[in-house]
Amino acid sequence: MALNRRTLLKTGAALTAASMAPSIVRAESPHWRVAASLPMTGPFATAGQLVAPAFSEFEQQVNDNGGIGGRPIRIEVEDSGYIPRNALANFQRAQAGGDLHFYYGDSTGFMELVGPTLTGDNAVMMGSTSFASALSDPANRPYQFMAGPTYEDQFEILLRDIADKGGKTVAFVYSDTEFGRDPIEHGRRVAEELGIEVVLEEVTRAEGADIENHVTKLAQANPEYTILQGYVTGVWPQLIGGARAFGLTTQFMGTFWGMEKIIADRVTEQAGPFLDGYQGVMPYRYFYDQEDAPFYRELGEFKRSVNPGFSGYVTAWELEGRLCLELWKLCMERVIEADKEVTPDNLMAELGAIRNWDSGGFFGEPVNVVNNKIGQGRVYRYDAESRLYNPVSDWIQV
Amino acid sequence: MGQFIQYMINGVISGSVLALIALGIVAVFKATKVVNFAHGHLILFGAYFYFTFSVVLSEAAFMPDWIRSWDPAWLQAYAGDAAMFSPKAAIASWVSDLPRILLGLIGALAANAVLALIIERLVMRPLLGQSAFAMILSTVGLIWVLEGSAGLIWTAEAEQVPALGPNFPIRFELFDQNLFLFSGSLVNLVVALLLFASLMLVLRYTRSGVAIRATAEDQSTAYAMGINVPRVFSTAWLVASTTGAVAGAILASRNGLSPAIGLFGLSVLAVVLMGGLDSFAGVLIASMLVGILSSMAQWKLGGGVAEIVPYVAVLVVILIRPHGFMGQEEIERI
Repeated sequence: MALNRRTLLKTGAALTAASMAPSIVRAESPHWRVAASLPMTGPFATAGQLVAPAFSEFEQQVNDNGGIGGRPIRIEVEDSGYIPRNALANFQRAQAGGDLHFYYGDSTGFMELVGPTLTGDNAVMMGSTSFASALSDPANRPYQFMAGPTYEDQFEILLRDIADKGGKTVAFVYSDTEFGRDPIEHGRRVAEELGIEVVLEEVTRAEGADIENHVTKLAQANPEYTILQGYVTGVWPQLIGGARAFGLTTQFMGTFWGMEKIIADRVTEQAGPFLDGYQGVMPYRYFYDQEDAPFYRELGEFKRSVNPGFSGYVTAWELEGRLCLELWKLCMERVIEADKEVTPDNLMAELGAIRNWDSGGFFGEPVNVVNNKIGQGRVYRYDAESRLYNPVSDWIQV
Repeated sequence: MGQFIQYMINGVISGSVLALIALGIVAVFKATKVVNFAHGHLILFGAYFYFTFSVVLSEAAFMPDWIRSWDPAWLQAYAGDAAMFSPKAAIASWVSDLPRILLGLIGALAANAVLALIIERLVMRPLLGQSAFAMILSTVGLIWVLEGSAGLIWTAEAEQVPALGPNFPIRFELFDQNLFLFSGSLVNLVVALLLFASLMLVLRYTRSGVAIRATAEDQSTAYAMGINVPRVFSTAWLVASTTGAVAGAILASRNGLSPAIGLFGLSVLAVVLMGGLDSFAGVLIASMLVGILSSMAQWKLGGGVAEIVPYVAVLVVILIRPHGFMGQEEIERI
């Protein structure tokens, strides 16, 4: 076939049309796309595997109810191994796969890494497992949010509770990580304002801490309260066990990641009831507290319907993931209802406009989203006999 | 003064665990001239094997109930209504756990020994006669293989395992100061020192010990003298893996079981360099020194600095004495 000008133009047009076709198909995608990185392997594999059902069940429940604005959702979850660069690669792959309407990150490290790149066409509304205080910054992190109070807020809730109960001395024990150090400076300031003396600031390894030395220092400082920060499953049980064995009476307290019932239950099962009395801040109701939580009852019924072997308990970790998704859904519905285009800016504007939202039971009081976070929480106490965390304070706003 | 002694005691206890870990590295080096970078991960496997046998297996449906928790009438009578963490309650709880502790220890020793023999047979022995450098690098590769395998076999979450000894505080007075230590730590200290002393005696006074020392001196001459050098290699790896299993069980019960144990074991290499790669006595001194320095730094300077101080000391010692406190200086004759 002779290649003349007309043939060349036709061929060029055909090639251009063929190369454009995928983006046209993508633009008309029949789904709202959500993607997530979870640590399904690595040091927090158990946490990742426990959070994962929140995504598949959310997808099924939303689609069973007609999707969002009549369009179904599709969720893609990938393993990160709790390595920020893996999570970043997952995110970039998800973005390359077409329009992405929400992303869920697996760590503070990932959120810090990806934050500065979320601009222009790369912008995506993003929630995560992190409560890092730096993420509550709409000016510099306009697309990232958290479904609860920052670690600084959580520290403040604990310190206020200590002050309310007449406490005068406190120790901060934290891991030598960004996660551990996050609320310490703010904690010092708030303690001073509340007239509480910080008698010890003890830095430990994130794993494999030298318990004898830490217990010795706690014994010397003899604080009424000890707040632990920057641990998930390790160190804090050994430290409390060592301090209790030594006979210390200090009241130990923790923040979100150190407050999961299944970890406390496992420690009690394997090493005895020494966590009895341990307290900490939890932004959400525990799943067994369903009286004023219609959402929890509905979720429980759904879980039983798809899994007859459902234990009846949903971890706080899974609830946090689910709440991020519910907040995104709420913003999507409001944007669509207002007949606006679904863009990250419009979604985040709706998020920032949430006031007096009845979460269906996650939180005890209607909540506001201010500075891309929800500053509410309550202090709970672990009872080793009933294996339950019971509330010991009202819902505290910060 | 009292506080100083308290932190000395804490340091000696930490040092004894370091010494137990270092023991395996020196044993392999003495026999094979190979610095085993993967020793920390052998310890990690020992810890996970201890967890598997003492916690997972003991709770399996096919196991008799008394393995999981032995609770005879006399033990119940002894415990009575003792308060939690009282010596009586701690001893009763430990006796009740004893069957699964023994199952865990025996299982960990056996499984780690098998693992070490597999490593020695499949990875190290084919490299016999090659440069020591090739063997050392293969132990570096082993780190990733072992770490990845541990991640595939077990969850990476921190787990609790039963302590080797009953755990209650022992309080005493010295220089008019109230001091304390945990009985569990005292048991760990005794176990570590006993293992250390036994191995030194074996090397000095038994035929196997002499064979190991002869092989370390000169492999070719040892062959010529009828020493079964491959068997010496296997023995050294067996010693490292079994002492590593005990170290793993101690670390897991002291600090909780997590993959961090592997990296902790790796960091002990610095202590071994300080003491001298081929000197048990030097390594014992270095372990105690690093344990005490770390403890003192934690006391006076806080956790962030405490991580660094002992290793700065290691660096200084190596700069002054490149072969460590008691390591043999190798003289190469041309």
